[in-house]
Amino acid sequence: MRKRDFLVEIGTEELPPKSLPGLSQAFADGIAAGLDSAGLAHGEIVAFATPRRLAVRVFRLAERQPDQQIRRKGPPVTAAFDANGEPTRAATAFAASCGADLVDLGRVEETKGAFLFFTGLRVGEDTATLLPGIVQESLDQLPIAKRMRWGDGTAEFVRPVHWVVMLLGNAVVPCSLFDIAAGNSTRGHRFHSNRPITVSPATYERRLASSGHVVASFAARRERIRRGVGELATSLGGVALMDSALLDEVTALVEWPVPIAGRFEDRFLELPPEVVIATVQEHQRYFPVRDADGRLTPWFITVSNIDSSAPAQVRTGNERVVRPRLADAAFFWDTDRKQPLAARRKALGSVTFQKQLGSVLAKSERVAELAERIAEVSGADPALARRAADLAKCDLMTAMVGEFPELQGLMGRYYATNDGEHPEVAAALEEQYWPRFAGDRLPETSAGTALAVADKLDTIVGVFAAGQKPTGARDPFGLRRAALGVLRMVVEKRIDIDLQTLIDTALVAVRADIRAAAIERAPPKDVNTVMATGSFAKLEEADPVAAEIYEYIMERLRAYYVDGDRGVTTEMFDAVLARRPASPLDFDARLRALTDFLSLPDAASLAAANKRIANILRKAEQDIPARVDPSLLQHTAERRLASELEGLRESVESLLAERRYEGALRQLATLRPHVDAFFDGVMVMADNPAVRANRLALLAALARLFTETADLSRLPG
Amino acid sequence: MRVRMPPRQKLGTPPATFQELVFALKKYWSEQGCVLLEPYDMEMGAGTFHPATFLRAVGPEPWSAAYVQPSRRPTDGRYGENPFRLQHYYQFQVVIKPSPADIVDRYLGSLRALGFDPLTHDIRLVEDNWESPTLGAWGLGWEIWLNGMEITQFTYFQQVGGLDCRPVMGEITYGLERLAMYLQGVESIFDLTWTDGPLGRVTYGDVYHQNEVEQSKYNFELADVAELFRQFDAHELACQHLLEAGLALPAYEQMLKCSHTFNLLDARRAISVTERQRYILRVRALARAVAEAYYCSRESLGFPMLGGPSPPGTVSGPGADSQESGR
Repeated sequence: MRKRDFLVEIGTEELPPKSLPGLSQAFADGIAAGLDSAGLAHGEIVAFATPRRLAVRVFRLAERQPDQQIRRKGPPVTAAFDANGEPTRAATAFAASCGADLVDLGRVEETKGAFLFFTGLRVGEDTATLLPGIVQESLDQLPIAKRMRWGDGTAEFVRPVHWVVMLLGNAVVPCSLFDIAAGNSTRGHRFHSNRPITVSPATYERRLASSGHVVASFAARRERIRRGVGELATSLGGVALMDSALLDEVTALVEWPVPIAGRFEDRFLELPPEVVIATVQEHQRYFPVRDADGRLTPWFITVSNIDSSAPAQVRTGNERVVRPRLADAAFFWDTDRKQPLAARRKALGSVTFQKQLGSVLAKSERVAELAERIAEVSGADPALARRAADLAKCDLMTAMVGEFPELQGLMGRYYATNDGEHPEVAAALEEQYWPRFAGDRLPETSAGTALAVADKLDTIVGVFAAGQKPTGARDPFGLRRAALGVLRMVVEKRIDIDLQTLIDTALVAVRADIRAAAIERAPPKDVNTVMATGSFAKLEEADPVAAEIYEYIMERLRAYYVDGDRGVTTEMFDAVLARRPASPLDFDARLRALTDFLSLPDAASLAAANKRIANILRKAEQDIPARVDPSLLQHTAERRLASELEGLRESVESLLAERRYEGALRQLATLRPHVDAFFDGVMVMADNPAVRANRLALLAALARLFTETADLSRLPG
Repeated sequence: MRVRMPPRQKLGTPPATFQELVFALKKYWSEQGCVLLEPYDMEMGAGTFHPATFLRAVGPEPWSAAYVQPSRRPTDGRYGENPFRLQHYYQFQVVIKPSPADIVDRYLGSLRALGFDPLTHDIRLVEDNWESPTLGAWGLGWEIWLNGMEITQFTYFQQVGGLDCRPVMGEITYGLERLAMYLQGVESIFDLTWTDGPLGRVTYGDVYHQNEVEQSKYNFELADVAELFRQFDAHELACQHLLEAGLALPAYEQMLKCSHTFNLLDARRAISVTERQRYILRVRALARAVAEAYYCSRESLGFPMLGGPSPPGTVSGPGADSQESGR
């Protein structure tokens, strides 16, 4: 089979930079899937992506589909012909579906009788005839948020399409996409080389680079920018701060990257460095430069899309743009500091957190209550935790956070420090949003931890109570992350909070605020209806939403342990969950003990024994006495087990009470030989009902101690 | 539609004054074949509200126009104290429908005409999608950066007044003050040279500073809120009556008045967050209804600009007669 390289390029107007990598990947994947499902063998697939093009090169693509042997069984011969030997509809329909005449059909003998049979050859099609459909299909499947039309055509794409290259080897694949005939010429850079350039799959990348002023490969361009920006920063005596997402975005904005350094006035270095960084990164897509000690310098690096004939003009132009932006930020910094954070709290009453849940002020009051409760358990200073909670959202009302929402929390910290708040309070304002993503750091201060747990828990409870719990992939409030954050903090920082109680507390407060917000929203005449509505009634003993939230958080805990590569299986998790530990920390202690227990040589046999005991007790159709009566113990093995168990009972119970589950299980593990001897020598279901009941009581006592930590009967084996 | 490829635009001399910048853009787009219009004589938030954009984007007829539109954004007023922000400023608006295949090149030609060599200045098309909740309109396009500064918004209209745009209108909106500041190298709008001729130099500040101070005071402090609420209702009602009479263009003006009245109320902070959304929806409902009425009226005229045979009655009907007698 002959093979040739294939090249497809869609030439467009400037594509959206943030979606470019995703579009490129999807285009290549779609073509790969199309080739595979057509049975076309091929080598490596390489994608190219620039602001003005999406392209894919397929190496060594088979020129033709392989021929396929077709074998199909038809109707039974008895059904294929009528009494007169004439073919029935079933027979002619089968022949037609095979594209064959009736006379061409063979027969096959099976145990059930003879059947019509078709054998044929499907001749493979030329790849060139299949490619337009494969490419079209891939384009149709691209993840495009909004497709657009242009001019008076009906074609739709991300941006208007101007040219299409489709080549199998050096031959143009005859077809038309977006009403444009495919050809063999691409175009170069919009300004440097905006003319047709003839290419082949093999020369595409090279020709674009040498005569088109285009670095077609996204990865190569990204690397070139990374290196260029890095070297320029070095020549300025610093280190460029290259955020990976920004690097991607800049790569998607240029075809011919040329880094140019610019400088802003030194006075802006008095701003918090994060503010300067946000200004130059977010608004201007520049790379900030730090000095060797990590301090911000007044340099920034922009990546221009041309090899300018006068780079100084590009530089001064960019400097002119950044100056008013930084001046704005400096203005915000100065004016924001004229008013203490605490004075902004009242205004939070007019900011909606979520329609049903009321204002941010209402949320902040709920969080303050929770934070104080958590602090009492966690060992944080409750007064500091409350103060931090009171100030937590005030920075949302500052001009700086209005302009740079991503600086929330951090600005709170700066402004609180400026106001002379306790350092731990100031730190907590920043830490309340931590951990921000999987694997992010946890708050360092104990007030910050209490606040962060309270803030997240209130959001989870509030959103559930408002009927907006996450479904499938939809999680607009980020509850999965919030729940995992809460769990990580309480487990890793060893805070022994009773989750169930805390959820109940949070839910009572949330329900009250939902009711208040509904009354506020309702026109006056509807107030009575709202108040009378059952769903706003006072929290019942068992609010079903509380249970739902607990389950939800426990599922996140399962993910934390089971998917988190922590040596915990889902059966182990279920065994502990069956005990419904009040706190995640207690949960953690039990899991650790269980993990330790399962590493003991006696574990497998004891787990099996527990399973057996659970079955026996479940099937026992009689009352089991609460206590073992020593006078009814007959067999040596059962006497031995009873006395060993009795000997351990007190110390195991006290270990359990202290949550020293590991020690408890280890002590119990010493019973193994006696348990084994019991099952070897003793018949539990003795004929004498009193003896039988006493044996069941012994087993129940044993199981009670064993499964206090985790329900061992749920373990496999 | 085949559009002739324009010859490569020669690099122009950078306009030295604000008014020369306007001349240069008018001249360029006139040469491209656009209908040059004067500003619409009503308050509006942007050039997009001019009927030459909003209404002409509706329906199948071709259209192209270029004009300066004074734009009023009461909330952006800063009493003439901020060097970059005004409550009254100018947009230079270009629309072409259907958008020609080389519309981006034509736009870049206008920058050459203003003296910007794209091999000297870093010109970038950065994704910026446009949506106007009040107009029930959206489109996809870019902001155009010149050495990192946004100087133009470029949009392919996809929907206007809730109607799909077929064909698509391309819209180019230049921020004249920004462009002029760049060309003149000044740090404040008020320092722009408006003109510098035999009668002396006049700055943007000479022309507009007092207006910014006084209008800001009106917008933020003195506009009569109760009266504005009343006017909003009255204009809304008038719009609805005119729509019932099938008069799309006068109805559209009443919608414009609603929109500006809303903007003034917004500047007075007279509208709460929840109410705000409801007012936007009220204006949008009008915009949609006007767009539909305009479409119907053009349809009943046989879409005259499509260039097909004119339906009877449109050329020598009573309209033509009354125009004659009116002279």
